[in-house]
Amino acid sequence: MKKKVVAVLLSTVMALSMAGCGGSEESSSSAQGGGAQAEANAGGDGGYTFEVLVKSFQSTYWQAAVQGIEKACGELGVKANSNGPANESDIADQIQMIDDAIEKKPDGIGLAACDANSVIDSLAKASQAGIPVVCFDTGVDGAPEGAVYATVATDNTAAGAVAAENMFPVIEEKIKAATTDAPVRIGEVNQDATGLNIQQRGKGFIDKMIELCKGVDKKVAVVGNEFYVNATEDKVAEGEAEVIIEVGVPAQTTVDLASTEAQKIMSKNDTIAIFGSNQTTAEGVITANQTLNKLSTDPEKGIIGVGFDAGTPQKEAIINGQFIGSVTQSPLMMGYECIQTLTKIAKGETVSDTPMDGYWYNKDNMEDDNIKPNLYD
Amino acid sequence: MGDIILTMKDIDKSFPGVHALDHVNLEIRKGEVLALMGENGAGKSTLMKVLTGIYKKDSGVITYEGKEVEFKNTREAQDAGIIIVHQELNMLGHLSVAQNLFIGREFKKGIRIDDKKMNEEAKKLFDRLNVDIDPAETMANLTVGKQQMCEIAKAVSFDAKVIIFDEPSAALTESEIEEMFKIIRDLKKRDIAMVYISHRMDEIKVITDRVTVMRDGTYVGTLITKESTKEDIINMMVGRVIYEDPKTQSAVPKNAPVVLKVEHLKAGKMVQDVSFELRKGEILGFSGLMGAGRTETARALFGADPKESGNIYVNGTKVVINSPQDAVKYGIGYLSEDRKRYGIVVQKTVAENTTMASMKNFMNGIFINKKKEKNVAQKYVEALATKTPDVDQLVVNLSGGNQQKVVIAKWLTRDCDILIFDEPTRGIDVGAKNEIYKLMNRLVAEGKSIIMISSEMTEILRMSDRIVVMCEGKKTGELDISEAKQENIMNLATREIE
Amino acid sequence: MVNKKAFGRLKGREAMVFGIIVAMVILFSFLSPTFRTYPTLVSVLDNSYYITLMVLGVTFPLITGGVDLSIGTGLVSYALIGGYLIVHQNMPVGVGILACVGMGVLIGILNGILVAVMDLPPFLATLCTCMITRGLGPALCGGFGVSWPSALSEAGQFRYIFKFISGNGTVVPIGIVLMLALVLIMSFVLEHTRVGRYTIAIGSNKEATKLAGVNVKFYHILAYVISGLFAGLAGVAYAATYATIYPGSGAGFELDAIGGAIVGGVSASGGVGTIVGAFLGVIVICLMKVGLPFIGLQANWQQIFTGIVLIAAVLIDVIKKRK
Repeated sequence: MKKKVVAVLLSTVMALSMAGCGGSEESSSSAQGGGAQAEANAGGDGGYTFEVLVKSFQSTYWQAAVQGIEKACGELGVKANSNGPANESDIADQIQMIDDAIEKKPDGIGLAACDANSVIDSLAKASQAGIPVVCFDTGVDGAPEGAVYATVATDNTAAGAVAAENMFPVIEEKIKAATTDAPVRIGEVNQDATGLNIQQRGKGFIDKMIELCKGVDKKVAVVGNEFYVNATEDKVAEGEAEVIIEVGVPAQTTVDLASTEAQKIMSKNDTIAIFGSNQTTAEGVITANQTLNKLSTDPEKGIIGVGFDAGTPQKEAIINGQFIGSVTQSPLMMGYECIQTLTKIAKGETVSDTPMDGYWYNKDNMEDDNIKPNLYD
Repeated sequence: MGDIILTMKDIDKSFPGVHALDHVNLEIRKGEVLALMGENGAGKSTLMKVLTGIYKKDSGVITYEGKEVEFKNTREAQDAGIIIVHQELNMLGHLSVAQNLFIGREFKKGIRIDDKKMNEEAKKLFDRLNVDIDPAETMANLTVGKQQMCEIAKAVSFDAKVIIFDEPSAALTESEIEEMFKIIRDLKKRDIAMVYISHRMDEIKVITDRVTVMRDGTYVGTLITKESTKEDIINMMVGRVIYEDPKTQSAVPKNAPVVLKVEHLKAGKMVQDVSFELRKGEILGFSGLMGAGRTETARALFGADPKESGNIYVNGTKVVINSPQDAVKYGIGYLSEDRKRYGIVVQKTVAENTTMASMKNFMNGIFINKKKEKNVAQKYVEALATKTPDVDQLVVNLSGGNQQKVVIAKWLTRDCDILIFDEPTRGIDVGAKNEIYKLMNRLVAEGKSIIMISSEMTEILRMSDRIVVMCEGKKTGELDISEAKQENIMNLATREIE
Repeated sequence: MVNKKAFGRLKGREAMVFGIIVAMVILFSFLSPTFRTYPTLVSVLDNSYYITLMVLGVTFPLITGGVDLSIGTGLVSYALIGGYLIVHQNMPVGVGILACVGMGVLIGILNGILVAVMDLPPFLATLCTCMITRGLGPALCGGFGVSWPSALSEAGQFRYIFKFISGNGTVVPIGIVLMLALVLIMSFVLEHTRVGRYTIAIGSNKEATKLAGVNVKFYHILAYVISGLFAGLAGVAYAATYATIYPGSGAGFELDAIGGAIVGGVSASGGVGTIVGAFLGVIVICLMKVGLPFIGLQANWQQIFTGIVLIAAVLIDVIKKRK
């Protein structure tokens, strides 16, 4: 979540600086908090109209969400008015926008709440007015009963699993060749052992990797940080394992300590792959590699690296063939799913929360329309 | 005797509440040593601080080498050739001797400080002054005496024309003083004028040419040392002030029991073999000049500072006092000279301060019995006539005299029979002083015994039944009030050391 | 030359710390085969650059008897601002570096004025600027992380100052040469120039220094300016060594530097200490930061262990004083 905030703020400033330099039409209009409209195909599916509120209308992250919204509108033949405050911290502005949206009596509201607590009153109003609300990106835990019909947000466990699923095929032959006498080692560097989303992500990777290894009849041991060792059930002792997953957690959340943890694991001769489970730790792996020079996209030549989230150093690592790829969260897909869910509600179908996957990206699909907007600098 | 190099005329200086210098005059000649004498607080140090720019004078004229001057800071005075060798040493313990000598005016080679040249220059200077100190030695490793020599050497190295010594001998041994005098005589030959502030009459006689005496911030007069006696000087120092109702007769019967006996108490340089007795119902005054070792004696007796040797008897029984807790156990209470630091907790109430030393008596299990505490505090507020709206008043809001009463109440709740009052009326106005005096008299009438340390002659003569005089860590005499006069007390307080 | 006895004593401390370093290297190498490799050495050095730069500066306030707590959050803040100018305002890298160092100097001046002119306790004054710098970088740059140009791009060439990577991937940690040079220079400044002499004098007896006619305020401020200047340089080193500067981080960096200085014999009460000692102390801290993970000590234990080592270092001083 924190990374996302960073991304949003980053994009905000980019938009600001663009406005300062060029003064192009789009940026000046969005700087005034204007809206975008996705026209429905004539004669579509009942022609529902929705109001969608993002956290900040200026950032590329949320513009990606709007792209997803437009994409869904195009496919479903519905109409969505997107709006959002100039800045993610303009909580009061967003509440005013929600109230205005309720006045318009749309068929549904999609909401990425700037502040989960502040929107509760507005959600109650929507509920009274009989307008269904779908939260996306950020859930609202304290929402009044029945006001929020569904939430569309990233499932970190699944996102961690995506990293494992994409790493496994590359190192599969190595794992198959491993024996208890000559085990192979897979590293994972987590920023901390206390944050819930990092915990879920880290465990999601470990559990999926164990599952995949068992699929090729290999036993897995988990060593390193106590939390992850204790939290993993399906493991064996180190001596009986063909595959060892070593989890490193730096004492403080700094890049230098993250890189030390990465280096410790990468220095071992039996290490075949390593996963940095957020931006800091992924950059820790990259920093360690500056000295070790061991990362490679070929498992025969070096260690396979996988990252998470984005940032310039990580994108460069993928382009330069140090990482085979990384996992990103997708505002675009969340926007898309949000409209899908709203449409279902409008049609009277029952809906449930939609956990979003992490999305795998690599050299080949980085420039794709549904990926590129997610990758902040 | 040489020409006049410096005159100070009609110098006036006030601090809030104190007229520190009242039109003082001073005149110094080339090649002479002028003694500047006076009781504690006579204004000697203030006058010198005005001269060297540490304080700004309110009015008056300073003429130096024929020109009127007013230095803004010590640096300006230094540059003009007037250097003060301070009472408290101004050394930088972590630096070397040479680095200290040349601090602020280092020799340099480019941007590099030339420590080698500084060491050489320091060596030359020491050779000239006939002092044996290694310029490269760390200052903190030198004896106090050697440090003092460095201070003097530093003054000389400034091309000084006037050097002011502020109690230079206070921390020196006899041989070190001898060595210093050699240097001073050498400087005299070079026509340097010197002001020598000291209480030591023997030194004054040996080294100085003239004596200027100050009293209570005023100029009393100047004498030629050779032509005057010690008594002449003392008479000028104490003056002919009439002290209000001095005690003439001790109220204590000769056969009153001895409640406290101290034998051969030793604790460092400031307490050297001190013995005395305190009788029931007696006020024993401790007189002496600043730094005579009176407070140190009291603190060692009370267990606040470690002692080297000595026996203490309370009511005839030998006791061991290693800490204030021990002392309190034997019924000894100590009212510090520095109330705010050691006596009271100003941000607490009267009641809380009153019971602080006897907390145990006010506890119900682990809880403080607030009601009992207030009752007892109220009792003492009435008994001592402490002026406070109620016992819940914060002590910080009381006047100095009433704060002192709270401290007294604190010790009375402990049932202390022996009370040590260290400067009991310091910082207290006249009306409140009288109340404290009355209270002390009432306490002794009730059978308590008091040791009173005081630097005020009036107070000593008015309150004491007997007077112990100390000088330089030694007891130099003991006087019954009937025979005590300010002159003989001062005589003992400035007694030469054999 | 510092006088012989004091010099001898400090030499002893430095020798002791050097001994500890050797012992730690031997111990870690013995416990972890992967520790005794060239990349690990480089990693220790990488870790040491920004801390070394911090300690070269913060030793001055420490010797005056003060402290500078603002250097940790400061260096992150300065690096954010510098990086923002380069990445988002398209300014030359040189401008970014100058801004980074310049901000450090500015905050140093502010610290100096607060302490030397306004008479605030150094702990309090620099705690306040620590908070200010924590918010300042993100506030000026919009609250996002900044990645200074990578070594692959032309603008990222400055990274080679610290770590040269040749075409075939050979890594040469030339930063250490720069560090040693700076250690020598600052050592000279502390021991052989007025700036250093008066820094020690202020820590030894401020009042006496003032009475000697030294412009105490100026030199007292200067100590904090030096600290700020090196915090700015540390910001550059941090940006050069690591990829992305995250807003809000940096709290605690200063403790590595101050802790290192104290291990190296700089007295927390002022007047005593050498640059060489402080530098060696920092190496001890960095060895622990890198070595403890290598011998398999987990995160929480690393911090406990580091705390214990610091207590031991301070105790040595206390016991020495008691004698």
